[in-house]
Amino acid sequence: MLKIKSLTKIYEDGTVALKDVSFEVPDGEFMIILGLSGAGKSTLLRCINRLIEPTKGNIIWDEKDITKASDEELRKIRRNIGMIFQEFNLVERSSVITNVLSGRLGYVKTLSSVFHRFPKKERERAFQNLNRVGIADLAHKRADELSGGQRQRVGIARALMQEPHLMLADEPVASLDPVLAHTILRYLEQLNQEDGITVICSLHFLDLVRRYGTQVVGLKDGRVVFQGLPEEITDQRFKEIYGEEAERITVT
Amino acid sequence: MESKRSPDIKKSPIISSILSMIIPGLGQFYSGSLMRGVVFFITVLITVLMVRWWGNDLLYTGIAITWLWNIWDSYNFAKDRRLSYTVPFLIIALILYIIGWGVTEINIPRLLTDIADIKPLVTNLIKPAVLERDKEILKAEVLFELPCSESPPGKGEPIEDKPYLILIDKTCGEPGDMFTIEGGNFWPNSKVYIWWSNYAGEMAYRIRYKGDYLSFETDGEGRIAPITVPAQEPFAEAKGKGPQLWRVQARMTREVGSPHLSHTFFLVVEKMIETVFLALMATTLAIFLAIPVSFLAARNLMGGNPITISIYYIIRTVLNSLRSIEPLIMAIIFVVWVGLGPFAGVLALAVHSIAALGKLYSEAVESIDPGPIEAVTATGANHLQTIVYAVIPQIIPPYLAFTIYRWDINVRMSTIIGFVGGGGIGYLLQQWIRLLMYKDAGVAVWAIAIVVAIMDYASAKAREKIV
Ligand SMILES: Nc1ncnc2c1ncn2[C@@H]1O[C@H](COP(=O)(O)OP(=O)(O)O)[C@@H](O)[C@H]1O
Ligand SMILES: [Mg+2]
Repeated sequence: MLKIKSLTKIYEDGTVALKDVSFEVPDGEFMIILGLSGAGKSTLLRCINRLIEPTKGNIIWDEKDITKASDEELRKIRRNIGMIFQEFNLVERSSVITNVLSGRLGYVKTLSSVFHRFPKKERERAFQNLNRVGIADLAHKRADELSGGQRQRVGIARALMQEPHLMLADEPVASLDPVLAHTILRYLEQLNQEDGITVICSLHFLDLVRRYGTQVVGLKDGRVVFQGLPEEITDQRFKEIYGEEAERITVT
Repeated sequence: MESKRSPDIKKSPIISSILSMIIPGLGQFYSGSLMRGVVFFITVLITVLMVRWWGNDLLYTGIAITWLWNIWDSYNFAKDRRLSYTVPFLIIALILYIIGWGVTEINIPRLLTDIADIKPLVTNLIKPAVLERDKEILKAEVLFELPCSESPPGKGEPIEDKPYLILIDKTCGEPGDMFTIEGGNFWPNSKVYIWWSNYAGEMAYRIRYKGDYLSFETDGEGRIAPITVPAQEPFAEAKGKGPQLWRVQARMTREVGSPHLSHTFFLVVEKMIETVFLALMATTLAIFLAIPVSFLAARNLMGGNPITISIYYIIRTVLNSLRSIEPLIMAIIFVVWVGLGPFAGVLALAVHSIAALGKLYSEAVESIDPGPIEAVTATGANHLQTIVYAVIPQIIPPYLAFTIYRWDINVRMSTIIGFVGGGGIGYLLQQWIRLLMYKDAGVAVWAIAIVVAIMDYASAKAREKIV
């Protein structure tokens, strides 16, 4: 169970990106964070693994307060939280397999990893994970030779290397066309249903929210404006999140 | 450049043009455009000063036209009409171009009339002295006294089977006196030069007469017909020491044996190796220093607090000023500091390269994508692992590319840094050109061309590999 309590983030320039955000994510949920661009979705997800330091509030995960963790504890916590990104954030000039193996850095010895030496079983694990997302044949290509959909699969494989209990996905399909979007989200759904990994995923298409989400939190200007089941988002609710002039965008 | 003027205050076009008549630009200033006025004033002022300095009064007409245009402009400007700058710009540009043409002494016809002057240079560059044959020297001599003593030396006598030289009319005299020699048993039909040497024989030179070296052809039997030779001045340290003996020599040389690589060739190879090492040392030293410097000069790493940001600014300023000093000038400074030779050249190229690479490297660091760093951090990797997996892969390709680029420049620079005493092939080349030894200079020029071409090819290949 992940509990977010009164989370506030004020950037150095004074931008209030999150204001008193509280909600809970029970284990095994596929939680969607819904909101316009600039609503604070990325900030919220990055506060959970403290890529961004929250200004105020607590994040409690399995009785442990992430916001109070020391550097060493934080690394241990981060190992259990996978993350995938809108822009994939692969190291473009490294090979696919190196990118995937970098997901395991939190577990292996620093010295040998610095010289790109990984135990055999970790390499096998990397191939299994690539297999799982269907791109084992691309292992030795450079990341910048891949298409967008392939890159996001590498991103997923990299996160799977961590054997995470929680997966953060920051608009994982916003840079992909609709067909690929479904492919990627189905992988996340599979992880959620088969492996029991809790997923917190930010999205901004309502159709995708209804298709994949089990819970929804709507953000607007850094505040929670909706919390509930996907079916509960009526057009009225949707307008609250997306503003009066918003129209429902349909993807096929 | 757009002028701000307050629309409510009406300006008189007449006053405006009268003001511009007194001082160019004043009218525009009065009508509300400081910018336009100042630009006019400074342009006219600089042009007048240039024309005065250059001293071609005809050019004042151009300035007069510009001035008239300026009065007309200020009249219109007061009426809120803007004229285009084209006319005065073209006139001023023409004036400056005429002056520039003169200052740089451009003289196109000379390219054609003096074309013969480059012939020896070009022909010798085409035939560089790569090969040479051994020289055999044949020599005979006779003694001459300067000035006469009571017992002057003998005239010398013919020797059988060996070349000999004898004096005919006198065996002693004053500097400048003409005396006659003849000889025999030299190689037939070849050129012989007359040399002057002190008695000890360690100082000698070829005698000139009326500007040319004194030389004669031997006849078919190897004889030298009687020839007159001017007695030379005694060498400085022999002056005023009373009568002394000097050697008058007849020397001839011929090439023997088969051609082999010349002394010049080996000298050039040796200096070329020095040149390449010079470039290599300068570049590698620069890399080692530029890498840490580049991190200090990267905004994204140094932006954190006031101390680091001031270090950033200091480093940037130092790099920019060092980069503005040409390596040749830097070499002159280091020659004064550490003396002539390759070390001065290495220092000059290294310092310039640190400045240039430091800037390029730091821009590479500034342009890295923070995304992968964030992603690797999120997996629970520590700082070192994050640097190895997310930062280094991003900066290696640009670092390599910039380093190869710098290496190319340094190879070129190292070939001419010797012109100012910084070591390498340039030192030889410069000396040979000054001594008009174009055949030897030709070897150096070819060596430079070949080595630079090879290095260019190699680095182009290396670049293909990494990009
Ligand atoms: N590093 C930053 N510094 C200052 N303001 C930021 C920074 N990152 C994001 N913001 C601001 O915080 C707000 C929330 O941004 P973000 O979390 O990226 O929203 P979303 O992911 O929903 O588009 C926006 O107004 C954005 O401009
Ligand atoms: Mg975002």
